[in-house]
Amino acid sequence: MSVAAMEREALEPLSNPIGLDGIEYVEYATSKPQALGEVLEMVGFRPVARHRSREVLLYRQGEMNVIVNASAGLVRGTQAPAEAPRISAIALRVRDARAAYERMLERGAWEVPMHAEVMELNIPGIHGPGGAHIYLVDRYREFSIYDVDFSRIPGVDPRPPAVAVQGFFGLVQYIDVARTADWLHFYRELMGFVELPPEQRFGILPKGTLMRSPCGKFFLQLIEPDPRADSESSQEMYQRLGLGASDVPAAVRELRKRGVEFVESAGLRAEERGALTRAYLGSVMFELVHVAVA
Amino acid sequence: MKIDEFGMDTISFAGTLESKLQAITAAGFSQVMLSARDLVGHPGGVDAAAAAVRDSGLRVTGFQVLRDFEGLSGHLHQYKLDIAKSMIEMCAALGCKVMLACSSTSVHATEDPGKLAQDLRKLAMLAIPHGIRIAFEALSWGRSVNEFTQAWELVCEADCPNLGLGLDSFHVFAAKTALDHIDDLDPERIFLVQLSDFMWQETRSFEERIATARHFRVFPGEGVHSEQLASLVTRLDRLGYRGDYSFEVFNDDYQQLPLDTVARRASRSALWLAEDVLRRSTPLPSRMVLRPNAGGTPAVELR
Repeated sequence: MSVAAMEREALEPLSNPIGLDGIEYVEYATSKPQALGEVLEMVGFRPVARHRSREVLLYRQGEMNVIVNASAGLVRGTQAPAEAPRISAIALRVRDARAAYERMLERGAWEVPMHAEVMELNIPGIHGPGGAHIYLVDRYREFSIYDVDFSRIPGVDPRPPAVAVQGFFGLVQYIDVARTADWLHFYRELMGFVELPPEQRFGILPKGTLMRSPCGKFFLQLIEPDPRADSESSQEMYQRLGLGASDVPAAVRELRKRGVEFVESAGLRAEERGALTRAYLGSVMFELVHVAVA
Repeated sequence: MKIDEFGMDTISFAGTLESKLQAITAAGFSQVMLSARDLVGHPGGVDAAAAAVRDSGLRVTGFQVLRDFEGLSGHLHQYKLDIAKSMIEMCAALGCKVMLACSSTSVHATEDPGKLAQDLRKLAMLAIPHGIRIAFEALSWGRSVNEFTQAWELVCEADCPNLGLGLDSFHVFAAKTALDHIDDLDPERIFLVQLSDFMWQETRSFEERIATARHFRVFPGEGVHSEQLASLVTRLDRLGYRGDYSFEVFNDDYQQLPLDTVARRASRSALWLAEDVLRRSTPLPSRMVLRPNAGGTPAVELR
């Protein structure tokens, strides 16, 4: 093989080893799906489809998909979801799900057992933080995974436009003490994420360490417990979803009209750089982050 | 307080898990090193064993031991991968943050350092979602890694934040590795130190090392390497190591003594190390933390 050919092949894998291309969906698990649905609708999502075999609903606004999963015992022996919703999975768009999955397993990722019913998609996944799963999806251009596993809700616009926000900005992940290096290594080694320098910050909650996806389409923010707060839980999890807005004050106004409340305290308030909603149902909050319009 | 840095290992005792934990607590220790057998051999199963450990109030120093992981290929590698995952799950069930993996003795394992490092990297990655650190230890009869200097080279080559070194004084003395090499280690990457001694100077063959390691170890201060053991511990202390020391004492005689007799011997050993070797007569500076109080001024607290 000529040198030129090797270079040609090596170029992309080095920078984006699994061909990451953004977030396909974010999944919440809860035993109170209707209550979470009301919160999601307030933030602009609309229910558009129902899973064919399980108690799972697909919500959508613009390009963003959110799945609410209330089904218990997907895998034998697993418990029913708790009442307080938690982000139980993210699905990432990749160039080739099988190749990405095998590459990750080869490097020590922990596979999620597949549990598709007949005629459903077998979506490969690996273990992420605190029992959350990271799924890999490569069929998002030519057809939608939801066309297979979900049935449309009749009379509902399947592609409702986004309200106030432009798309997923990323996820905030809470991690245990002294675990930043471990998780940086995890996302870098398995998916090619890049750590951003401390001076590069977005939004109004700049704590922790920020990573950019190799596709440049979303961010992960790793936050260790505050050493001054003894009572903070060391539970690791995806704590909240970041939504990108080109005009945060306008988005805040629009969402307030819909009933969303934002945190206003001495240290934290909605401003041009970003805003934080209050926590709904004990655990669900959204962060608006200013993004330049492409 | 004085012996907080030191812990006992359940392998030093006969009896049930509960009676071992009780003896360790009664002797004044605050931590325990556990073996997978403590969990799977418990009559109530793994969950009951984990509950007994939690109820004891003892902190779990580490969980042992994953053997012969690195260097295998094909179906052997897949098999060991499954074993490693089960061990990691048990370690996590205990709330334990350190799992010990010892260097391979397998004749089926490659000696290629690149492949060995790659496998350790994979093992460390498996442990990340569970919040577990892997301490890699050189067995003195390991096939291609039998001195801590070689284990350290692999740890550096693999270069993962949750992969570090497990140092066992027995293997250091058995292999006669020069203690000067301790000064080359990064104290932050030493995840566990196990201490024990034995009663003779020479263990030339691998067979002799294995027999000594599994049947004739004694507590620090009871063997013939007290001077080297004191040197090892003071070197680690000077290097900046502030992690745990666990007594890794396999001894057939101790297996037929009352548990409190064995625990008393361990306690005497810990006091020797704390008072005479490390001179810890006052609370350790490393156990004091500066943290701002409500007024914003720093206050010194004891952990």
